Amino acid sequence: MTARKQIIYWGKKALLFVLSVLVLSLAAFYVSRLAPGDPLVSYYGTRVEKMSPAERAWAEERLGLNEPISVQYVRWLARTLQGDFGISYKYKMDVTEVIAGRIGNTLLLGGAGFLLIFALSMLLGVLCAWYEDRPLDRLLCRVGTVSSCIPEFWLSLVFILVFSVTLRWLPSSGAYSVGRGDDWLDRLAHLVLPLSIVVLSHLWYYAYMVRNRILEEVRADYVLLAKAKGLTKRSVMFRHCLRNTIPSYLSIMAISVPHVLGGTYIVETVFSYPGLGTLSYESARYKDYNLLMLLCLMSGALVILCSMAAQIINERIDPRVRPQAPEVTER
Amino acid sequence: MKERFEIVGIRPLPDPPVRKRKWHEGKPLLSAGVLALIVLGCLLLPLMGTRDPSYMDLTRCSVPPGKAFLFGTDAMGRDVFSMIWYGGRLSLFIGVAAALLSAAIAILFGAASGCAPAWLDGLLMRLTEILLSVPNLLVVVLLQAVLGKASPLSIALVIGVTSWTGMAKIVRTEVRQIRASEYVLASRCMGGGFFHILWRHLTPNFVSSIMFMAVMNVRSAIVAESTLSFMGIGLPVEVVTWGSMLSLSEKALLSGAWWIILIPGGFLVAALLCITSLGSCLRRNINRRENNLY
Repeated sequence: MTARKQIIYWGKKALLFVLSVLVLSLAAFYVSRLAPGDPLVSYYGTRVEKMSPAERAWAEERLGLNEPISVQYVRWLARTLQGDFGISYKYKMDVTEVIAGRIGNTLLLGGAGFLLIFALSMLLGVLCAWYEDRPLDRLLCRVGTVSSCIPEFWLSLVFILVFSVTLRWLPSSGAYSVGRGDDWLDRLAHLVLPLSIVVLSHLWYYAYMVRNRILEEVRADYVLLAKAKGLTKRSVMFRHCLRNTIPSYLSIMAISVPHVLGGTYIVETVFSYPGLGTLSYESARYKDYNLLMLLCLMSGALVILCSMAAQIINERIDPRVRPQAPEVTER
Repeated sequence: MKERFEIVGIRPLPDPPVRKRKWHEGKPLLSAGVLALIVLGCLLLPLMGTRDPSYMDLTRCSVPPGKAFLFGTDAMGRDVFSMIWYGGRLSLFIGVAAALLSAAIAILFGAASGCAPAWLDGLLMRLTEILLSVPNLLVVVLLQAVLGKASPLSIALVIGVTSWTGMAKIVRTEVRQIRASEYVLASRCMGGGFFHILWRHLTPNFVSSIMFMAVMNVRSAIVAESTLSFMGIGLPVEVVTWGSMLSLSEKALLSGAWWIILIPGGFLVAALLCITSLGSCLRRNINRRENNLY
């Protein structure tokens, strides 16, 4: 009985996931085709301007752009389901190859940023809750409010201005210097500025959430009981309060993935860091349809997966959120 | 008239000294003041003889701040001082307009979803989740295309239309909690329509919980506009806003012209900070219980 329930439960989730991705792909497909711009420019470059109408028609037919969008979509879907994502108009190679060359950089930046945010926000949140309303807490809250107000792109500009233009400590763009791709120290130097922007612009939001969550927890009645039993302040905080905040923290962090990802995209564009962000920006701008679709699908799938993960974490831990009332256990 | 009973044996304790809060304590006076200054400057200064912000004097590009140009000139020879005030008008207008629009959509959508039967409610909420997961960049590019050339109004529209989902969820939760209350039922029995109930009975209940988000939406709309304009997908360089002023900053970085980056950005951040602290003051007056840990 329970095994069947499990299968149904996961089957429902999987179905919902597939449906969401499908709707997303349909929307993204129509949106990108209807938006203005000439995809031929990204394929043929500036030669497009000199093309005769006949040549244009031939080129459009070759790329399959002359048909109605619905037909194009069905074709695209059929190819995609077979694992063929098409070629990038600009790079003239398989979309998967183009992405494979860039994804490492984004994963490094986004992944390292996410882990740092994950660890530091917990640390800061606990620190602030421990020193509630004392100078350290107030100072951190002030600094945090200011840092979360500054738009990412402007902070990047200021960092470039200070650290690369004025002080000349760190490089301002790219993932590595020309010809030094294997030198990890060089890569690290290129990573410092973008990474610190990604972390700084998101950190405070989550740290503040942790702080407020712990402060709520500290006001619960069981804390009084624990103290009356003679537990020290530290063990009440870390053994009881912190443990109770972990589920909501985990689900918040699962939802945060897309936000961090979006931030990474902006930062990548400012620092011309060769990752998926710059790639999606380029592909949206120059109508590189196949590339754009795969990038949209990847980010969209990640977002949907993460919000589902958050929901599942919540359901597992908090019985009130579960869809059906809990069953009476069979004997 | 004398009291008939007199308490004896118990010495009445004097009331513990309650420090009277001064009228300005806990109110963000500084931010309100700075924001008022910026808004007033944006409204009034262009009336009193600043230069034309779109006039390009190509002989005097990237002049550092000095007597002739208070904040210097940008890479196209425009006066930064006048651009700040003209640009602020548009930036603030876009922020407020987008926030109002998104609040209106959120209230309507959230209330409709909250009052709807369970299946429709589930469907509408799935829809918002899907909307949340579509990359904003793409939606903005498409909506821009439908509306034609980017103008401040169209940008505000686009940002407003894409940023209502979070608030709609809150409205929906609140509405679901109060929709079965007696006064709502009574109003419905007396023939109150959807909009009447929404306006007279539901809105007063949830307005305080979305107030904070509405103010924060002003902030995020300003950030969105400036980010879009900076990346070259939003307003063109000729339309002066704080964001589009920054879109020339790559050239400024090369020539080390700090004033082109720091001055508009400084105004932008100052305005954002003030709006944030005004917003969080709306949220703060929840009475706090004692901390049990101490």
